[in-house]
Formats: sequence, structure tokens, C-alpha cells
Amino acid sequence: MDEDMVFDPSLKKKKKKKTGFDIDAALAGDQGESTSVEAPAASGDVDLPEDDNLDLDNFGKKKKKKKKGVFNMEELENTMPETPPAEEQEPQEDDVIDDLDLEIDFSKTKKKKKKKNIEEPMIEDDIKGEDQENIEDTTGDWIGTDRDYTYDELLERVFDIMREKNPSMVSGKKQKFIMRPPQVVRIGTKKTSFANFTEICKTLHRQPKHLLDFLLAELGTSGSVDGNSQLIIKGRFQQKQIENVLRRYIKEYVTCHTCRSPDTILQKDTRLFFLQCETCGSRCSVASIKSGFQAVTGKRAAIRAKTA
Amino acid sequence: MSIQNLNTFDPFADAIKSSEDDVQDGLVHVRIQQRNGRKTLTTVQGLSSEYDLKKIVRACKKEFACNGTVVEHPEYGEVLQLQGDQRENICQWLTKSGLVKPEQLKVHGF
Ligand SMILES: [Zn+2]
Repeated sequence: MDEDMVFDPSLKKKKKKKTGFDIDAALAGDQGESTSVEAPAASGDVDLPEDDNLDLDNFGKKKKKKKKGVFNMEELENTMPETPPAEEQEPQEDDVIDDLDLEIDFSKTKKKKKKKNIEEPMIEDDIKGEDQENIEDTTGDWIGTDRDYTYDELLERVFDIMREKNPSMVSGKKQKFIMRPPQVVRIGTKKTSFANFTEICKTLHRQPKHLLDFLLAELGTSGSVDGNSQLIIKGRFQQKQIENVLRRYIKEYVTCHTCRSPDTILQKDTRLFFLQCETCGSRCSVASIKSGFQAVTGKRAAIRAKTA
Repeated sequence: MSIQNLNTFDPFADAIKSSEDDVQDGLVHVRIQQRNGRKTLTTVQGLSSEYDLKKIVRACKKEFACNGTVVEHPEYGEVLQLQGDQRENICQWLTKSGLVKPEQLKVHGF
């Protein structure tokens, strides 16, 4: 069908394009919010889209939230007086009384910046800009001092290290491979052709027989690969339906169950299949393909004639 | 020295076993099959044999306004068959009635 439809099983949480065949959607749809294993990966801190700004933004967001708390504190001073610690409340009271004093008193500490925010509500961009400044300030801040590291500094540090060691993660290009959507055409009234079946097997690095077994078991039908390496399936199926089944196949047998990397090997080991991840090294068993119960749907008279 | 306490005895082993015997892999497989033309068929395999499937099918037929039957299969036991794509209906019904836990359900098909 569409030539530019892409299949994108990358880690990114990017909004899925309508035409795209996006494994994230499949995974998210199937697992819902309850996925706990992938939580750190999906939480938005690790997912780094192409533009490098975003990691900063992420941090900015976090810091902003903190600041917002301070901000609110002033606004809601009357409504919730208990929540802010006493020491932080004091400067605000001073603030009202005497601005100059405060500036001198707190000029050395971080509070100055907070105060600035309180005094003159800034537009978001300004705050962000300041936060970026702030981050640059804080990174080397503890060098030479023996004070305790703040949470944000440590968080920053660990993400810096992560980014440094995994440049590919920053660009967001990692673990992204493009797969064409299945080309599904009806043949006559009773059969369906899956034209690029072999090509998709190659993209997924899976034996055609394995994918074939899965497709036929899931669709509850029969079929075979013909001379033109296309798969002929009995029954009428639409592209969307084949796509759904493929998504489930990829989720179960291609992407790593731990890190969702598609760089995996499927090994057969004493009747069981194992998915070995080349990225994180995890190895887990995957469900064996069983077609299960199949109802008799053909003409019973014909079957009887055949078996008799 | 007695190492009796270190024996790996699972007091619930028999309970787990008996419940798994009934439903093979412990899952209830809901599948769809195409029949001639646009018609489809939904099958439910793996329901516990403790349940009266005849009663279930009677309730389902009424609830989903479709025909249905119970077939006996040598390997898979009693299997529920319903006309049309009733996968969503049957899943909801089975969980709502408490016969099957949501995590036990495995829906196949497109
Ligand atoms: Zn992995």
C-alpha cells in the first residue's frame, strides 16, 4: 500500500503517526499502564528524541516543578501555611518587608534565584533559560567543597554519564528499524496474499516458518508460501488485521522483553524457544506456538466424503 | 543436625496442580475463525471442567443474541463455540461473572 509507511519499534514514546506501524502503540495498547519492567525506560527521562535540547528541558521541568512549589507557596500562603518549611517561609516574609536586606543576606546561596522568581513572575521561557543556567552552575558546584550533593546534582550527574557513554541514546536513533507494512491483497473471494511476507521475515531476522506458524495459528486458518515467496492465506484478511497479528508477533518473539531492543536471537532449546537479547543480554523463554482447538468450518459432507 | 526445615515443601502444590490440570496451561484461549464469506466463529478453549459449559453457552446465547454450542475435543476438552466475533463479549462476560480472571484470558486472532 503506502510506500512511506514505516514501522518503528524504537524506544521513543513519540506520538504515533496515523499511517505508521508503531510497535510502541502495540505494546502500550496491550500492556496498558501496568508495565512495571519498562517503567524507567518509558518514563520520559531516558527517551530522548532527536533534539538534544530535550534532556535539558526534562531537567528544567523537574527543577521548574520544584520552583513552582516555592512560587505557589507565596501565592497560597494563606491556604496552606504548614507545608513549606519554616526556614523557607521566613525569607518571604522578609521579602515583603525589606527587599534590599534580603538580597544581601541570600546573595551567596541559591535562594537568590528563587527570590527572583517570586518577585517577578516570569514567562516560562525565561524560567527555563534560567534553569539551564542553573544546571550549568550546579554541575561543578560541589567540586572543591565538602557539602552534600543535592538530589538534582546527582541526577544530573548520572544522566550526564549515561549520555556520555551512550551517544546513540541521545540521538534517539538506537533500536530503530524501519519495516514496511505488510502488503495484503485479496485473491479472488476466499484467499488473501501477504506479498512481502518473506521480506518481513528477513527484516525481523526470523525463520519464515516460525512467523508462518504464528500467523496461521492466530488467524485460525491455513496457508503456504508460493513460488513468488508470497504467503497465500485461506480466508479474507485486511492489511490492518495482519498488522495486528504482526505486532503481537514482534512483541512476543522479536523485541526483548526487558529492554525492548529488536536486536535479539530466537533460539530453540529442548522444546522451548528462548529470546536472547544482544543489547542487554537478557534471556527469557517465549510462548510456544500452538494452534489449539480448531472448529470444523468447511462443508461437513465434503469432509465426511474425504475421510470415508 | 536435622535439615527438615530446609525441605522444599510447597503446601499449595496439590491445589495449584489440580487447578492447572483442568485448563492445560492455565489459560483460557479465545479464538476467532473465518467461515464461508464474512461469517466468523468464536471458540473458547480451556474453561475449567468444573463449570457446566452447557449452562454457560445457554447464558451466552441469550446475552449475545447468537447461536452457540459445546464441542468435546479429545485433547482440549470441552470447547465453547459461538457464532460471530464474540471475543470481546465473551471476555467481558467471563470476567464479569467471575469464572475467569482477566490475566487468564488469551485472545487470539486479528
Ligand atoms: Zn534486552
